Amino acid sequence: MTPSICQSCLQNPHFFLIPRGLFAQTSARGIKSISAPRRNRFNQDPSLPRLGASTAAALERKAYATPLRTGALGTKKGMSAVYDTETGKRQACTIVQMDRVQVVAHKTRQKNGYYAVQVGSGWKHPSNITRPLLGHYAESGVSPKRHLVEFKVRDERGLLGIGETLGAGWFQEGQYVDARANSRGMGFAGGMKRHGFKGQPASHGVSLTHRAMGSAGQSQGGGSRVLPGKRMPGRMGGHQVTTQNVRVIKVDDEKGIVVLNGSSHKDLFVKR
Amino acid sequence: MKTYPPPPSKRNKYPEPVKEWNAAHLATLDPTTSRTRLFDPSNPDRPNVGDILLTTFRNNDPFSGVCISIRRRGLDTAILLRNRLMTVGVEMWVKIYSPEVKSIEVVKRAEKRARRARLYYMRKPKHDRGSVEGEVEEYLKRRRLIRSGALGVKEPGMSGKRGISAKRPEQGKVGVGAK
Repeated sequence: MTPSICQSCLQNPHFFLIPRGLFAQTSARGIKSISAPRRNRFNQDPSLPRLGASTAAALERKAYATPLRTGALGTKKGMSAVYDTETGKRQACTIVQMDRVQVVAHKTRQKNGYYAVQVGSGWKHPSNITRPLLGHYAESGVSPKRHLVEFKVRDERGLLGIGETLGAGWFQEGQYVDARANSRGMGFAGGMKRHGFKGQPASHGVSLTHRAMGSAGQSQGGGSRVLPGKRMPGRMGGHQVTTQNVRVIKVDDEKGIVVLNGSSHKDLFVKR
Repeated sequence: MKTYPPPPSKRNKYPEPVKEWNAAHLATLDPTTSRTRLFDPSNPDRPNVGDILLTTFRNNDPFSGVCISIRRRGLDTAILLRNRLMTVGVEMWVKIYSPEVKSIEVVKRAEKRARRARLYYMRKPKHDRGSVEGEVEEYLKRRRLIRSGALGVKEPGMSGKRGISAKRPEQGKVGVGAK
């Protein structure tokens, strides 16, 4: 009697019996198709409206609000006052200085899905910069920058030449800009400071709860819990703040000075 | 790794833009530096805290009062004048470099040098100077006479030289009362 080989074993051998070299080991994990996406033969007519859930449609939606020109970086140096000689009116002003602002890189629709200009300012010692970032600067032919910021632009017309310097002349007197900076960090702030809670009276028997939150909500009738989003003490400040429509009072290209109307946050400025 | 040198830095070349801006703006507000020299601490005829000052604005409105504080902040230097208008105490801050301020004159000097820089105690009824209209009227009368030439005295600072005369005048509107 010849030994009969189990047919099922030949057809479906156990995993551990198969030598490893006989099948390709794929390193990709997850659920991904191994074939290229097939072109959809339906709804391809150019006369049809663009699908809302697409990059093109998103860019189109935001195009109106996306500026044509890039912004620039500057540092707030201090504040002063401007007296108008005709009207005699006094206005507070902020003095911002631009320091070695250069275009470092571009973001394009083809590669990154949107158009943006990467702008750097200041200077940092090469020994304090990682090699990947040094390579990034070397590719653009610019010196290592202390600050790097991207400014979204509407289309390729807003992409300046790489290495091009931006001076105070980028802005005009009387122009309105949006000024952005990080606000001062207030650390772990209590309810009164953070949300303007009223606290409790200073006297009349109040014990140890003058600045406390008080109640955090209802009882059983209000969900038997503290509702999500309840305003409570926590970290305050240290986030980006934008002041829109700040008027440029004066521009001094030689010193790299831009004088803005009103008050602004300290430290670095991101202007557009 | 190739690194490129940075372009020339304007921040390093002009490290004090605020000071420069203040100086430049002050030059447009006070081109003859007369206001600055008037309040300069080295000027013996400068207005002091405790003196009665008369300020005239661009629309010729006057405001007079005892100077109870001089706030020195460069461009924003200001004086606080206190007066009683019809028994109502009125205090007014006057920015000396404002284009609205036409002139600041010393009407009457304090008899004794005030022993502090801010005379907020004058707000209390015990030390309140009251209305200074009387002294201002006297001063304006004398000024009118000098200008008309009736007293036969030359007005200091009007002898052809520009700006305020640094020398102490023998007679005239400035220096009335023992210093």
